[in-house]
Amino acid sequence: MHPSNFAHWSLSTARDLTLEAARDASNARKTSTRPLPSAQLKKLLDSRSERDVLEGLRRVITMSYRQPPSQTLPFFSHVIKNVASPSLTVKKLVYICLLQHAEHEPDTALLSINTIQKSLTDQNPQLRALALRVMSGIRVPVISQIVSLGIKRGAGDMSPNVRRAAALAIPKCYRLDPNTEPQLLEYLSTLLGDKQYFVTGAAVAAFLEICPDRLDLIHPYYRSLVRKLADMDEWGQLATLQLMMVYSRKCFPRRTRKVKKASANSNTNAKSTKPTKGFYDSESEEEEDEDEEDEQDFEEVAVLDPDLELLLKSCLSLLQSRNAAVVIAVARAYLYLGTPAYVSLAIGPLVSLLRSAGDIQHIVLYNIVQVCLSHPEPFVKYYTHFLVRSIDAPHIWRLKLELLTLIFPHAQPRLQSLILAELSHFSHSGSLDPALVKESVRAIGRCSQSPATSPQTSARCLRLLLKHIGSADAHLVAESLEVIRHLIQRNPDAHRTTVVRLAKHLDAATSPQARASIIWLVGEFAGLDPENNIAADVLRILAKGFADEAEPAKLQIMLLAAKVYIHHLHANPPPSPTKQEEPPEPSASVLDMPEEEGGFRDAHLENPPPIEPLQKESPHQIEALYSYVLALTRYDTSYDLRDRARVYKSLLSLPSSTQLASLLLLAPKPVPHIPSPSETRKNYVLGSASLVIGDEGGVGGLRGYEDLPPWVKDGKEPDPSLRDEAPSSTYVSAHEVAKNMSASERLDAAAQVDSGRQRMLETIPSYRTSNGVGGVEKPAQKEKTLDDWLAESSGSEETDDDEEEEEEEEEDEEEDDDDDDESEEESEYETESESGDENDRLVK
Amino acid sequence: MSTIEALFIFDEHNTPLLEHTYNGRPASGSTLLPLYLSHPTPRPSLIYLPSTNPATLLYSIVQDQLLFLAPCSSDTQPLQVLEFLHRVADVLEDYLGAPLLASKIESNYDVVAQLLNEMVDGGIISCTEPNALRDLVDAPSLMKSLLGNVGLPSTTPSSLAPSATPFSLGRGGGPSPRLGPSNAAQSTSPVPWRRANVRHTSNEMYVDIVETLSVTLSPSGRPLSAIANGTIAFTAKVSGIPDLILHLGCPGGISNAISLPVFHPCVRLNRWKERPGQLSFVPPDGRFVLAGYEVDLLGPSALDAFTTSTTKQSLPSLNIPATVSVHTSLGPSGSDFQVRLQLNPRFTGKSSAPPPSSASGRGGLGSRIAAGGGAGTSTAPAIEEMTIHIPLPSSVHNILDLRVARGMGDASYAPGSASIEWRISSREISMLMSQDRGGGVGCHATLSGTVVGAQDDDENGAGFDDTAVSLSTATYNYDDDQASSYQSAPTSTPQPSNSAQVDEKRRKANKILMPSAATVSFSVKGWLPSGIKVESLNVDQKKSKGLGGGVTPYKGVKYLCVSRRSVECRC
Repeated sequence: MHPSNFAHWSLSTARDLTLEAARDASNARKTSTRPLPSAQLKKLLDSRSERDVLEGLRRVITMSYRQPPSQTLPFFSHVIKNVASPSLTVKKLVYICLLQHAEHEPDTALLSINTIQKSLTDQNPQLRALALRVMSGIRVPVISQIVSLGIKRGAGDMSPNVRRAAALAIPKCYRLDPNTEPQLLEYLSTLLGDKQYFVTGAAVAAFLEICPDRLDLIHPYYRSLVRKLADMDEWGQLATLQLMMVYSRKCFPRRTRKVKKASANSNTNAKSTKPTKGFYDSESEEEEDEDEEDEQDFEEVAVLDPDLELLLKSCLSLLQSRNAAVVIAVARAYLYLGTPAYVSLAIGPLVSLLRSAGDIQHIVLYNIVQVCLSHPEPFVKYYTHFLVRSIDAPHIWRLKLELLTLIFPHAQPRLQSLILAELSHFSHSGSLDPALVKESVRAIGRCSQSPATSPQTSARCLRLLLKHIGSADAHLVAESLEVIRHLIQRNPDAHRTTVVRLAKHLDAATSPQARASIIWLVGEFAGLDPENNIAADVLRILAKGFADEAEPAKLQIMLLAAKVYIHHLHANPPPSPTKQEEPPEPSASVLDMPEEEGGFRDAHLENPPPIEPLQKESPHQIEALYSYVLALTRYDTSYDLRDRARVYKSLLSLPSSTQLASLLLLAPKPVPHIPSPSETRKNYVLGSASLVIGDEGGVGGLRGYEDLPPWVKDGKEPDPSLRDEAPSSTYVSAHEVAKNMSASERLDAAAQVDSGRQRMLETIPSYRTSNGVGGVEKPAQKEKTLDDWLAESSGSEETDDDEEEEEEEEEDEEEDDDDDDESEEESEYETESESGDENDRLVK
Repeated sequence: MSTIEALFIFDEHNTPLLEHTYNGRPASGSTLLPLYLSHPTPRPSLIYLPSTNPATLLYSIVQDQLLFLAPCSSDTQPLQVLEFLHRVADVLEDYLGAPLLASKIESNYDVVAQLLNEMVDGGIISCTEPNALRDLVDAPSLMKSLLGNVGLPSTTPSSLAPSATPFSLGRGGGPSPRLGPSNAAQSTSPVPWRRANVRHTSNEMYVDIVETLSVTLSPSGRPLSAIANGTIAFTAKVSGIPDLILHLGCPGGISNAISLPVFHPCVRLNRWKERPGQLSFVPPDGRFVLAGYEVDLLGPSALDAFTTSTTKQSLPSLNIPATVSVHTSLGPSGSDFQVRLQLNPRFTGKSSAPPPSSASGRGGLGSRIAAGGGAGTSTAPAIEEMTIHIPLPSSVHNILDLRVARGMGDASYAPGSASIEWRISSREISMLMSQDRGGGVGCHATLSGTVVGAQDDDENGAGFDDTAVSLSTATYNYDDDQASSYQSAPTSTPQPSNSAQVDEKRRKANKILMPSAATVSFSVKGWLPSGIKVESLNVDQKKSKGLGGGVTPYKGVKYLCVSRRSVECRC
């Protein structure tokens, strides 16, 4: 349902769009976008009428989006004059201009600072938030201290919107002047502990921005952050999950424990039914473990820290998020922090992301492949989602094919044959895209190579590939042979007959590359089974048609001849003395001849040596064949071919000393390994851009890429008691629980109790609630902030009473029709938290 | 590591429409656009541009022909940026009206500027919830009436929108009449996704369930995969804070049918887990996507049924409106192909289907058509807007003799283009359907054509190469006593078989030119492949607030099944 997906059906036909566009353009473009003479525009801006000013501002903004800033700068000072306008609408537009132009004209921009500062104490929380945002957004370093003060005030504001603006202003202020960091960190730690979930989300984002390494600031708030996770907005969730990834790696050592292996049955049960059960009691641990090390009776099982467990559990509801990034982030947390049982929970939601729009699908596929590389089994049942469709773009089907090959070894036989049928369909049908043909042939190769594939399936893959050799599609043939070659090389003994079969296909194969490939293979296996090897025979047949071969094939025939000959020499070592004297002459002639003279005289001098032995002792056929091929190549048009012929000739000129030649010709070839294409990206963290880009972005990831921190060593981790929340009464924690309810649940509760009560709960300034019964530490903090604030803002005529009043107003505004009295509210709290508790348990 | 550094929007002609910098000094739109365009289509959504300064990760989406670009100079979570871009597009659409057009953005730069400023603060995404933004930024219509710009178009997307695009994300008929001072709404709503102080004169709720088919049929007609991706779109125009319960039902039990659901944050997950099929939620105001799900139409046992040797009789029944099959390598030289469309008789508009009389329909050509004027009942769902695409390999140069051999429609192919398009209008479909009287097997339509590839220009491609090589070696013509005996053999081998094999060769060559699949697009109103339906939609009066007692909102439900080239048949 990802909204993007949804938006796609709204894509009415192109005709509708154009109709609409035409209709719209006819009247719209003229009126508002036609530029006005600058004098007139200035007059508008200077006007006393609010309507005129608005019109002028709209025009300036329009200009600023369409033209370089130099065009709108002349109006900047006129715009700034309106900053004190009482109208909120005007103010907003002025602020927009201010943000755009402040950098170009810092002096003019500074003129507005005073007014903005005044707005920070405005009654309207929206305006306060706006003012804070704009002030911190003005990129003029001089005002960093003022901004810092503004943030301080904002952090203690009673409107959560203002507090959020303060949190977001922190990184901006830091960028203005890094020296403000100590103060900023102080504000930040206040905000991290905020009760409002959308304030903390912003605070976490700010934290990641300015000081991602100061994990010590997180300890006291860890649990509250984790509990708020479900309620934050999507972007807050993303930031928090990112923070928690690093935090958990650095603060929870990976403890493992040897546990007696459970039977396979209980394994699967555990996976499906109670994956989220606590892992502390030994029973569930036994059930929980995955069958990774089958051969052992005992296996290592991760023991999760209770706090880590808390995090992983609170992520669970996020798997149903509509935001693809959140789902991936949860999957990442499970993959790198959790146990396999957790990972399998995330598989379904990951697959569900494939429903979304093409652009998101692409990125998601990379992530799925990454998970699938380490945990292929749970993906098997979703195979229908990975079938390639004809409308898939290349970057999509490439990844889908890879997924199919990854799940192939773990699939049941029926599915395996389905996948193979699928792959062969794409490989032989005169496919739309040569690259698709190529890739699917490779995929077949990978399927047959994987260690889990049974020999029969492997043979079936090979049969599929062999079928392609006769095809008219050169790409297909070349690629198939390439893959066949890899297969044979990996297990030469098993494929002796395959080589014979391949040789038979030589008649059918037309593409030179394919022929060359087959010939090479035949040559490579020429020495395997000397008694009944076909290499010599193949050579004989090939020599007949040598003239009609293309160059690549000729090269290979030449090589084959040399190999066959050397094997022959090995098998029947020549009687050393007689032979050794003769060859030096021809070899000498080989070395000096070609440069001096060309053409026919060469031939005369050259030919005798092979003939002579033939005449003398009627040489073995192989020798004759070899020399025949040599002779043929000697007069070929290709330089390359002639050169090689010369090399082989001199290498093998001495039938008795073949060491050098066998070193060159019969060197064992490294077994080719074709890993899954994404293996190269395996080291990148799930969900990162580097994973998508791969090594193209530079080895070690793109700029700003952060690798996963290693698990902290046992004993080096920070004291878990740091995470204990303020030594608070049960009341506070109950309150926390209430906070932990999702907003909708809270709504439920509110409806049960009475209308309007709930909202008050949220909007009441935090220090006031804690004054009521309880928290000890936090209230103290808050009060201190308030004191500080008062002390500092004594200049601006504000008293405690004012404050109170404002607060009242605040509440009045926010809760339209409720008058509250403290005691009732408290009793409400109790029921509140109880019901919340219930709900909470249900969640778990 | 700020996420969003800038946002660029370009219109359909790639002229810059908007350039908004949030943070840092990203490369400008004018440098990024050519680099983006230089990437071959289809362009991936994330492109790495090492040549810019700083090296840029360029994220892009295209919506309503507008191109949204967001550059990033450091590694961030790619989906975060892409989701954000989609949200921007959705929010703009919400504010400016359903098809997002360049002209609409141009005439509302002030609103757009406010929105963009609210959505991202200093590079950090802050608020993208449409309802929350409504509290902060006024809709353009209000601003306009304030300014008295009568000449400007209202942002209602005209009469087109509600009728032609009933499923647009933008609020169907433009801004609904919202009473009350939306400007003075300083109070924050207790529900983060719902505006405060919602008032409507007429309270209405609409549920639109849309299922997008995604079916792949193997050459034998066996379904390999059949998934319906469902989306529940909800339009709430209800005053106060209503608490709604939507009850979904399905013949086989909802929990069996629906898998992998995704929910809007407003849905109470616990309720769904306890009682599947019940969605309890407080809706945002306006139109939103309530949930998404998928339904596997084949069921879990599909794989067991899959064997290569089964006959057609045992095919698992798949109830979809239309399928297509492609028959290739027909004709003497194997260059003809035929595409057969079969329409499901269920969608003729008739209630009862007599038993199939003859199997002649399979052959396509021989069956006699009994013309009849039986108009179907209007309650039965009917297929609309059918298009069949037949993608062709790139080596195909032209299609000769392309015609609709049987049935109706309009087939078109431009030489060199990548696919054939065969359109059948709704009217033609109903005519086709009405011709099938008593057949019970639905009706067929056939399209045939002949492919012409590049190789037909130089008669026999592969053989020609061989002779060329042998000729060139022949010129050397050296005399070798020893080798001359072998010499005659190789030159002769290709020759004799040449004439005999030429037909076979052409067949083979033409085989490469054959289409390998065909896809069908259509839409069916009032029917869902999964059979899911809305059992009830109720306002929980006890929990709701602000909705006057006794007020029952008007409710409407709509079902739609679409296929966007996603019913695919291979061959």
